[in-house]
Amino acid sequence: MKRAFVLAMFVTTSAFAQSTRVASDFEIAQMEKQLAQSHDFNSQLSGHLNLGDVRTARNEPSLATVEYRRALSVATEERLAARRASDISRYAYATAYAAVASAKLGRSSETFALSDEALRYDSESAKTWNLCANAMTALRLPPKAAGAARNAVALATAETAKSPTLENELDLAIYRYALAIAIIDTKENDEAEGLLSTIVTTLHGPKFDPLRKEIARGESFQIYSTAGSRGDAYNSLLNRSQLLLASLYEESDNIAAARATYKQVLDARSDDPTALAALARLSASSNDRDRYFIEAFDANPFSIDLIREFQSAPRKGSPDESTTGSRVRKALIEMQRGEHRAARTTLDALVREFPNNDVVQYLAAMNDAALGDVERARSRTIHLSQLRAEVNRRIRDAEEPAPAFLSGKRTPPTAREMRTLIAMFTQNRLTPEQRATLDQFTLTSVAKFDAPTPGAPGTTVFEGGTIDGVPFAFSEPTAFQGTLVAPLKLTYRILGATQRNGTDALLLEPLKVEAAR
Amino acid sequence: MNTPLTRPSATLSRRERDLRVRPSHPSPSARRCRSAADEGLGIFVFVLAAFFAAPISAQSIASTANGIVIAHDNVIELQGGWSVAGVKNPGRIIVGNSRVAVLDPIANELRVVDLESGRAQHFATGETPIDGLFIGRDFFIIERDARTLERCGADGTTASIDTAADPAFIREANGLIYVYARVAGMLHEIDPRTMKITRETRVAPFATDMELDDGNAYLVDARTAKMHVVDLATLKAQEDIEVGVVPVDMAFVKGPTPISARTLAVADPSAKRVWVVEGVQSLTQAVTRGFLRGLLGAGLFSRGASQFPTGVDRVFIRGSRWIAYDSASGTLYSFTKTKSTPIAKDVGPNAFALTAGGVVWWDNAVRRLQKLPD
Repeated sequence: MKRAFVLAMFVTTSAFAQSTRVASDFEIAQMEKQLAQSHDFNSQLSGHLNLGDVRTARNEPSLATVEYRRALSVATEERLAARRASDISRYAYATAYAAVASAKLGRSSETFALSDEALRYDSESAKTWNLCANAMTALRLPPKAAGAARNAVALATAETAKSPTLENELDLAIYRYALAIAIIDTKENDEAEGLLSTIVTTLHGPKFDPLRKEIARGESFQIYSTAGSRGDAYNSLLNRSQLLLASLYEESDNIAAARATYKQVLDARSDDPTALAALARLSASSNDRDRYFIEAFDANPFSIDLIREFQSAPRKGSPDESTTGSRVRKALIEMQRGEHRAARTTLDALVREFPNNDVVQYLAAMNDAALGDVERARSRTIHLSQLRAEVNRRIRDAEEPAPAFLSGKRTPPTAREMRTLIAMFTQNRLTPEQRATLDQFTLTSVAKFDAPTPGAPGTTVFEGGTIDGVPFAFSEPTAFQGTLVAPLKLTYRILGATQRNGTDALLLEPLKVEAAR
Repeated sequence: MNTPLTRPSATLSRRERDLRVRPSHPSPSARRCRSAADEGLGIFVFVLAAFFAAPISAQSIASTANGIVIAHDNVIELQGGWSVAGVKNPGRIIVGNSRVAVLDPIANELRVVDLESGRAQHFATGETPIDGLFIGRDFFIIERDARTLERCGADGTTASIDTAADPAFIREANGLIYVYARVAGMLHEIDPRTMKITRETRVAPFATDMELDDGNAYLVDARTAKMHVVDLATLKAQEDIEVGVVPVDMAFVKGPTPISARTLAVADPSAKRVWVVEGVQSLTQAVTRGFLRGLLGAGLFSRGASQFPTGVDRVFIRGSRWIAYDSASGTLYSFTKTKSTPIAKDVGPNAFALTAGGVVWWDNAVRRLQKLPD
């Protein structure tokens, strides 16, 4: 029902008349509308912060930065105006939000100074401590965030004990959530699980019946980091708390509880990208997995975690191009199959539509490198350092000359050539001609085998070893006649790349083992 | 997914309403006080004295017996002297007789440098070191998010004790350390030798500043426009001192004299004034001083209320030099009993110091240390 409402809104919102139906599109539209129509401080600030957060979740850092800068500018103007008007409370409030915006821009010294300033004036306020915790979380300083959040929870607990209103209960739950995030990052998972369970139980409790009815009447379902109404705060908090709780269950291998909690998230919002991606990951049946992947990609096609999950195993199917999610899946399958030219066509269309999306640019750059077009790969605009570094590594690999034996020269491979070959396998960079050469080609090298495993009398069973320091593995333990003692010479064919003892290795088909002279 | 949540509120809480703007004229209690600064003159008196320039983004400055110490970008320098490895995010610089300590509240680090030799010690601190003091050659530091007081000995050893929530201010009196835990509303008295809490008492929470003289602790309470006074001998609350509209920071002006009690300067950003008030005194002292003033024909304070062009929220006094700082705009003022003069803008909160010869500050625009001599 909620999903239907999202789609209905897309139809009526001209700005989103394109083919996308990404879950966060609705939030973006709402925030842009809010910014255009409401010019008070809260509306402007929350509008820009929420837009920045949505853009960040969609891996659009340049667009996110623009929004965070605007939020900081709005907060800075407000704090100076408040100070001119001698409104010290307003000044502290604006300063705390300036710290949050500054933190999202990664400015640690400025953030710390602003947080300190807000606390100096308003250390009585749980809200100010919570904003300080949020800023520290954004700076990835979880122990500081935990310290501030503990103060927020302590103050709000005392306030709620004195005055147990729905507003106070909701605020306390928000502060507990901030504390849970911080202590998960400091590995205090048991306490975090307790806090999150308390939040979910509280929000499901009878006290919130009137608010739930209000939410149902308004068909409200949006998820915001900076929620402007009680309904939005309730929805966002329940969604986030359940997601976090489910991830803790997953981490402790309580898969049934994790699945159940992710499904509860979908009960309230059927297109939640995180829950869909998790259910794809946790599905026991391939049908369920495929279905959840389709829905997860439709909800957020630009989630790098989802993409990595999708790439972790061979995928079948030929997705249509009806949604952005299906186009991304199509490109990923094409890349996985080595159909890099087809993938380029698919990805170039996505780049034209989402030029500021780092994940689209990243996929296109990885595909360029696989095609050997390193100049084009270099030219892609990628702001996220982790993705840029990955592309740069791939470019370096692509610039390595292909091993000589791939062009038919019958020389024993060097260690460097074998490592290059492993990279070419894992990155799917072998041309059909090179694959054909490998299939026909037998090589002989001096091998250092790992300790043999027990086998029939008169045989020696090997699983793998190293050639010139490069690990190799057989597809299964292989028994060789005789009692074989090093040094040994192995004749083999190269089948592909695999993992052995946690490192990349060549997958070999052994043909003969003999004593080396 | 793990983005924290906030809820901007259109309705202000009780406390927030309390701090909303009040009439700009002094309250009855404030009228007993005297504003120490004149109407903002808006005249910039820059006396430029360029000492050295450095490529700096964030700086902290302190005045020491050996000269100006400046910390920036992983460097600590004594002006015209040594330069040693510093911290990435310099916070406060705390000055002792022979050493300085530079805090990094973000990276949880501390550098203690010998002023004479420039020999530096490095300490990893608990979470969020925000303030400290020297007693002899030992350095004591409060760590806000760890809720601890830590001793960093000159011999490199450390020891720590827990405090109540939000240790915000640390001061020393009579050889003992006093730590004010702001959220908990707790004043701990600690023996620096044993690192044990010797006494503690509940006090008003959420104070914005704490200063000690030999006999009392003064807690500035912006919410109630009062200074709470605690007698250090008994750890008992004394009568509150009402001051200004939103008092935030204080400094001692001068000690007690035969005709007046100790006087305190209190920065009040809402009233855009620095109030000068009397500290606590016993009834006998008050009566005696009143009698003497009558005998001499002297009033308590001279007439005249004045204000700064912007709201100042920090006040510093050294001898006859008084300066005030507006954290919001980064404006630094020099002021006397009768007038205020802005001396610099866009100055960082730790980027200025009062020296024996005047005021120094780091000027970001020209990237130089500037000086306004006495």
